[in-house]
Amino acid sequence: MAEVVLKHIEKLYENGFHAVKDLNLDIADGEFLVLVGPSGCGKSTALRMVAGLEDISGGDLFIGERRVNDLPPQDRDIAMVFQSYALYPHMSVADNIAYGLKLRKMPKSEIQARIKKAADMLELNDYLERKPAQLSGGQRQRVAMGRAIVREPAVFLMDEPLSNLDAKLRVQMRAEISAVVRSLGTTTIYVTHDQVEAMTMGDRMAVMKAGVLNQVGTPQEVYDSPNNIFVAQFVGSPPMNLVQGRLEESGDGVTVKIGEATLEVPASVLDERPGLRQYLGKDVALGLRSEDMEDASLLKEVPPNATLKGTVTLVEALGSEIVVHFDLPGEAVVTDDTKLVAAEIGGDDAIDVGHTGGVKWVASFAPRSRVRVGEDVTIVADIERMHWFDAHSGEAIRG
Amino acid sequence: MSNDNGPEFLGKNPDGSNPGSRTNNDPDLQLAVNREGQVLAMEELAETEGSKAPTRSAPKMSFGRWATQLGWRHAVAIIAVLFALFPILYIINVALNPVGSLSASCPPSKTGISALTCLAPSTVDFSNFTAIFNDPLKPFGTWFANTLTLALVVSFLSTLMSAAGAFAFSRLRFKGRRPGLLALVLLQMFPQILAITAIFILMTSIKEVFPLFGLGSVWGLLLIYLGGSLGVNTYLMKGFFDTIPVEIDESAKIDGASHVRIFFGLVLRLALPVLVVVFFVTFTFIFNELAIARVLLPDLRDTTLAVGLNTYVSGNLQEWGKFAAGALISAIPMLLVFGITQKYLVTGLTSGAVKG
Repeated sequence: MAEVVLKHIEKLYENGFHAVKDLNLDIADGEFLVLVGPSGCGKSTALRMVAGLEDISGGDLFIGERRVNDLPPQDRDIAMVFQSYALYPHMSVADNIAYGLKLRKMPKSEIQARIKKAADMLELNDYLERKPAQLSGGQRQRVAMGRAIVREPAVFLMDEPLSNLDAKLRVQMRAEISAVVRSLGTTTIYVTHDQVEAMTMGDRMAVMKAGVLNQVGTPQEVYDSPNNIFVAQFVGSPPMNLVQGRLEESGDGVTVKIGEATLEVPASVLDERPGLRQYLGKDVALGLRSEDMEDASLLKEVPPNATLKGTVTLVEALGSEIVVHFDLPGEAVVTDDTKLVAAEIGGDDAIDVGHTGGVKWVASFAPRSRVRVGEDVTIVADIERMHWFDAHSGEAIRG
Repeated sequence: MSNDNGPEFLGKNPDGSNPGSRTNNDPDLQLAVNREGQVLAMEELAETEGSKAPTRSAPKMSFGRWATQLGWRHAVAIIAVLFALFPILYIINVALNPVGSLSASCPPSKTGISALTCLAPSTVDFSNFTAIFNDPLKPFGTWFANTLTLALVVSFLSTLMSAAGAFAFSRLRFKGRRPGLLALVLLQMFPQILAITAIFILMTSIKEVFPLFGLGSVWGLLLIYLGGSLGVNTYLMKGFFDTIPVEIDESAKIDGASHVRIFFGLVLRLALPVLVVVFFVTFTFIFNELAIARVLLPDLRDTTLAVGLNTYVSGNLQEWGKFAAGALISAIPMLLVFGITQKYLVTGLTSGAVKG
């Protein structure tokens, strides 16, 4: 058990590629931290530096009290689970699990006891004599976990351990890994590109982009108040809806103009974000999550100046909710971040069918909604829950 | 191919690449087929390769169907075997014939098909075999021992050294890695025989300082062979090592394994098929190598089999009987090596070819 502290960690490759830039993280003893970001953001490199598989170009890395920058991997008291599991194919499951212990010259009885304990925990008892090739993907994953567990290390490092599993198994293993790690109380750094894993598994999540740490916080914090457009779009499924808006003063209030629609900005929003006043007369990027919208026809009372109109392009009835894709008249927010996220989730051309111009938005309505494809729909937006970003820098507007 | 591969074939190739084995009920093969991923494929090459021939109940079918679907393959196989056996029968015949000439066993009156009857040994006489062991000027025993020593030592050392070099090129990043690899590729394009003059001069000079490793010494020839085989073998193995996931090394590193342990305990273990191929190819090459050996070991009292046997048929006096007897005996080590290694050979050769 130990805390892990990364202070100004840098990774600069010989070819000039700056993979990790000034990374600062304090991971408390026993904490489960998820490092998340799109591919190539440096999250795996950061993890491999903690493991000792990559040299650290700059900064200090502490595990417990020790500065471990120059220690080889085996002396850092860590165990790692790889995406490909990296099981030793010629050894049985038991030998795979025991390998690290044997190399450390642990007495046989102790090794047996630890294998037994890990096998019980991971339900591997029936497979101990098998070779990895004779196991299913989920079982191999468990063996990889077992190999880490028996070492009883100070820190677990996991590099996308669920990526090679199919969707159903992934959900199951997600819960299993969380449960096992929590029952052991070992500090864990978990790398993934899947924001669902990041949301569900970690005590805290750290979102990285292009080698830079963008935000650290509990999953709910990050979801509710993203630091910038990138985090807003990357965390959450579907990604946060974005549109350009213009803040204007009208009488004693403030309004925001989105395409043809004008929404009134309540005083509470302005009080919460005093910085917004500086954007009067300027463009801002507005973000709204799908669950913060409702079909106006379902509400008894439609608040004035809080509605948007759009044309429905796709309706997905999921039973508990109806996911409505619609085109909102207005100007899209296009920054490097939005492009990056679009590329990461496979582009947004999937819902190009019936696109009528404007911005593609996604709302989730109550299942009573009767919207149909091609119809116009009036949407009530929860302006209190709206996110405000600088249209150029993409940073959240707050103080 | 459809589902009707011969059982023997299945037994030797349970590597999942053979769709025919999917329908097989043997549990071993099912597992082999179900494997996913490179390592696992390799593991199984090393582990279960050729472990047992599957039991397979022959489905009942009419003769016509049998002939069109399976029978013709047997016919082709039999013809191929006859074709391959012909020279062997011939040489056995010659070796057992005391007259020791190619034509002696077959009178000129026999021509055409009837000449084929000459292939059956007309006499069984071991005088050729005893003669080659009792010629002090042409000591067959010494030749045999020399060649066997050379082949075994060079094959073993070459496999080990190439593996070490390949490990470095595949796993470590160091200055000069790329130029080194390029040099290997370039070097392996030129046969060693091109350098024969240079080698001769080199060995002549070495003889003046270190007679043990100079011209006329088996140990000198050993060094030349070893150097000549390193380039191509290292490159071949590097290609194979690259297919072993680096995560396995890294995982072992975190588990606390040293470079040495990773090399001997994991990489060499997983690369067993290609090690066997390299060993076999080098062994065969050295057993047959004539040109360099003839230049470096010209003294018939202390030379190799290829050089020695060649003298029986290259001079004025052509002793085909003794040559054939010697050739038969010298085939035994190669047969043994082949027998031991053959279960790895097919897969090892192809994987080296594709991935190297």
